[in-house]
Amino acid sequence: MPVGTFRRAGSAMLVVLIAVSVLFPLAWMAIAGFKGKDEVLRSPFQFFPDMWRWSNYTAILKDHTFTRAMIVTFVGALIFTVLSLVVNSMAAYAFARLEFRGKRFWWVYCIMPMFIPTMAILLTSFVVVSKLGMLNTMAVLIIPGVASAAQMFFLRQYYLNFPIAVEEAAMIDGANRWQVFLRVFLPQSAAPFVVVGIASYLAYWNAYVWPILTITDPSLTQIMQFLGTFRSDRGNDWGMLMAGSTLASLPTVLLLLIFQRYIVNGVRISGMK
Amino acid sequence: MPRRRSTLALAISAAVAASLALSACGSGGGGARTEGGKTVITFWQQKFEDYQQAWFKKQVDAFNASQDKVKVDYQVQPADTWAQKLKAAQAAGKAPDVQTTSYGNIPAAVTNGELAELDGLLPASAFDDIKDNVKSFVTFNGKRYAYPMLVEPSTVLYYRTDLAAAAGLDPKNPPKSWDELVQWSTKLTTPKVKGMTIASAAPDLAWSSWGLQYNACGHLPIADDWSKANATDPCYEKLLQLYKTLYQGGLMPKTPKVGYADGASYGQGEVAMMAGGSWVVGQLKAEFPNMISKTAVAPFPSIDGDQTKTTATLGGWTLTVDAKSKAKQQAAQFVQWLLAGDPAIMADFFKTSGFSKYTVRTSVDQALAGNPDASSDPFMKTISTKVVPYGKQEPAYPYDIALAFGTAVESAMKGTASIPDALKKADEKINDVIKKQSLAGTQPRR
Amino acid sequence: MALLDSNRAAASPKAPGAVPRRVGARRQDNLTAYLMIAPMVVLLGVFVMWPLAYSVYLSTFEISFYKAPKFVGAQFYKYVLESADFWHSILIGLSYALLVVPTGIVIALLLASFIKTLSKRVAAFMKVTVYLPAVVSTVIASVLFTFMYQDAGVVNWFLSLINHAPIAWLNSPQWALPAIAVPGIWLGFGITTLILLAALLDIPDSYYESAMLDGANFFQRLRYITIPLLKNVLLYLFVTGFTLAIQMLDLPLIMTNGGPTGATTTPNFYIFNSFRELTPYATSYSLTASLLLFVVLGAISIVIFRLIRSDKAVDG
Repeated sequence: MPVGTFRRAGSAMLVVLIAVSVLFPLAWMAIAGFKGKDEVLRSPFQFFPDMWRWSNYTAILKDHTFTRAMIVTFVGALIFTVLSLVVNSMAAYAFARLEFRGKRFWWVYCIMPMFIPTMAILLTSFVVVSKLGMLNTMAVLIIPGVASAAQMFFLRQYYLNFPIAVEEAAMIDGANRWQVFLRVFLPQSAAPFVVVGIASYLAYWNAYVWPILTITDPSLTQIMQFLGTFRSDRGNDWGMLMAGSTLASLPTVLLLLIFQRYIVNGVRISGMK
Repeated sequence: MPRRRSTLALAISAAVAASLALSACGSGGGGARTEGGKTVITFWQQKFEDYQQAWFKKQVDAFNASQDKVKVDYQVQPADTWAQKLKAAQAAGKAPDVQTTSYGNIPAAVTNGELAELDGLLPASAFDDIKDNVKSFVTFNGKRYAYPMLVEPSTVLYYRTDLAAAAGLDPKNPPKSWDELVQWSTKLTTPKVKGMTIASAAPDLAWSSWGLQYNACGHLPIADDWSKANATDPCYEKLLQLYKTLYQGGLMPKTPKVGYADGASYGQGEVAMMAGGSWVVGQLKAEFPNMISKTAVAPFPSIDGDQTKTTATLGGWTLTVDAKSKAKQQAAQFVQWLLAGDPAIMADFFKTSGFSKYTVRTSVDQALAGNPDASSDPFMKTISTKVVPYGKQEPAYPYDIALAFGTAVESAMKGTASIPDALKKADEKINDVIKKQSLAGTQPRR
Repeated sequence: MALLDSNRAAASPKAPGAVPRRVGARRQDNLTAYLMIAPMVVLLGVFVMWPLAYSVYLSTFEISFYKAPKFVGAQFYKYVLESADFWHSILIGLSYALLVVPTGIVIALLLASFIKTLSKRVAAFMKVTVYLPAVVSTVIASVLFTFMYQDAGVVNWFLSLINHAPIAWLNSPQWALPAIAVPGIWLGFGITTLILLAALLDIPDSYYESAMLDGANFFQRLRYITIPLLKNVLLYLFVTGFTLAIQMLDLPLIMTNGGPTGATTTPNFYIFNSFRELTPYATSYSLTASLLLFVVLGAISIVIFRLIRSDKAVDG
């Protein structure tokens, strides 16, 4: 079948092309981690280092501040992701499938935060968490961002698409709303949960300004705070920054590898037919 | 519709009421923080070059070990989020007891009552040691609000002696006027190396061109009493023309990789000359040591070749004590120990900096005079005798005014406006700032 | 208040035609619903609404945290609204969003459709690969792209192949914004692709099979099956895409410093720049500007909600 072969070659080429355009910058970052301080920004562009030096990577791996920041941030990010999925998916279900008094008002109330620029509430959020005595705790990193308008909005859009027949069937069997949510909607939310879960995880992982404002205790230093120490107006330690960023991206890549399998054909619709 | 609006209004007014309650119970009481009988004071240092963090850490440890009454809690804060962090802390009543403050930020902080007066807290002798031209940097209405640490000229000319010789130029005789600077840049530009690098983005131009604004016109683009703008003075047209020639003539990189304060392009040999702050000396010594033997410094060229005219403003850093600090006396004690105490401490700092920064104290000068490294450093000699003495203080006016002028320079460089139009726009903008911020007659140093 | 209208079909009993049939369509589940939204409502109340109300309150003062603040009423709102620079930054933010969002969604949609056709193992590889740019921090991406745009960088090297003179990408007023939009797209298309992929996979194959039997080609299937069924997800992507893109700060901050001559001064960069000054005026001004940006973003979103009406969609 020449047409099939042609198509297969075409799609193979496309896969390679996309992979290269995406992976090239990442490879550059990882390889720049082997370069000396003054080598990274050198012109003309040079992909490989003059000499492969492991010193950046070993220096960072030996640094206890780095290991601790990785562990603390990873644990925080996992707790953050789970809590935000719980809180936002419940609200999303209510807005997508239930009728209640004041629904419009609460919908605006919950969706509005999406449009609030960070700068508008940065100072005053700090005042609030400091009044609540939350400075220098894991709570200040996790709790304020758990309720996310964007994530709730996404899940609500997703739940709007759920076939009504599924819900009907469950309710005819005598299930109440909570049971419908827990037994029908949640089990079929794997794909959207993975998609927004990874986004939440990354939002926590890449947070920079908020940890700087609220955390001064070295034992709670977050990973982006740690990487920030290689930057300044007056010269950056690019080699260390690249090595650090490469190492810091590994846990996320690992999570992606594990969870990508849940983004597959939805079972619920096909199962229904 | 009406019902919906009223519920919203209700919710908003309830939230406003709650926030009023919050702001009312603002400042908490209590005394200074103590720990094991010691008074703890917080010290925020804005992040600078790596060696500075190491030096501060070492000295704070030494101070903490030297006595048993005060403990300094030393924290390095990144520069890019400094404003947010400081404002947030001030809003919550958690500002540090001691902080690094640049000369440029002192006037606004004094006007707003953020800084504690140091006269009663430090002995008069500490201030007598400060050189006369720097005294005025920290004095407002006869009172001192900061203790200066160092000065750094904002603009010095760095040039490659080897490339100059190869281009048939005399490395012993660097350009003195703007015309000569353009000639040098032209001769030094090759397909691989640009002749020159200087700021080209408005936020950098805003402050890095102050020295050249003085050079071109003898004044800044605003009347001395801040009553009106003065940017359309024809002498500024020559300044903008200089930047325009360098940029549009292809004598400098059109897409710089780093900002003005970072000397990496010069260090990497991509340009033959650089306008840069004196701090770049420190960066070259630390990161590009093989450039040192091929580099010479000179005062930045002057509009007419007269090298006694100002070409640089003297920026730099001080330590200040917060007006709301509950341990002002202890905070001042630390400042005095570090900056105004044993001259050997600060002498050690300037040595660590590779003599890329300059002392403000006579006694530290004397301590350094005996140091062979200092007296033999070629960069230090040129900068401290030919640049610093003619350097002017940074302006105290709001950044918006500096930015308006920086934008004018950038528009001229990139050709989005003709030179007279760019200056006219800056003039209008500055007048607008004067009006909105009610600046007329408020110049704090008059 | 189109935000509300978008929800009308599902919420309002006054529009019976739009309400899909369902068990107890008119029944209200007040208690259950309140319990379900309670955690979100409380958290947003404490950590968003309270700070927001406090910010609005503060914006009516010239804020000093040292002296008694001076009440100035709406003065700063007037100053911001009068400022040509503020409006210019909004325009830049909008142009940036127009460059980034539709392009990003189209690329992601094509990519997601493509991944769907791949075998399980290749698809797994692609799912991870497309997401990787999002894992890289914006800082690293900015540095990398700044490199590629250098006078003698990769991009100009490609231009030289077609005998074109090099372009100062990041320093010419007409090219700077498109030049920073490219890393903007690069950073964002991974998550968009995964979202669209998840949504595409939910469309029953039978729809496509019958369309193909009717002789519909790829674009017809896209037009008549895929896009209508993706409406809810697309609404989400456009709204969040626009709100995020208009608020872009890091790319102009690191790559262009807002220049050349303001060509990449996005609203947040403008606000960030006004905040650098430590005066009470600057603090109040930038706070007010950010509150007004909130209003603008809300207004834009209302427009998008109007354009893409999202109803309770598919019914089996």
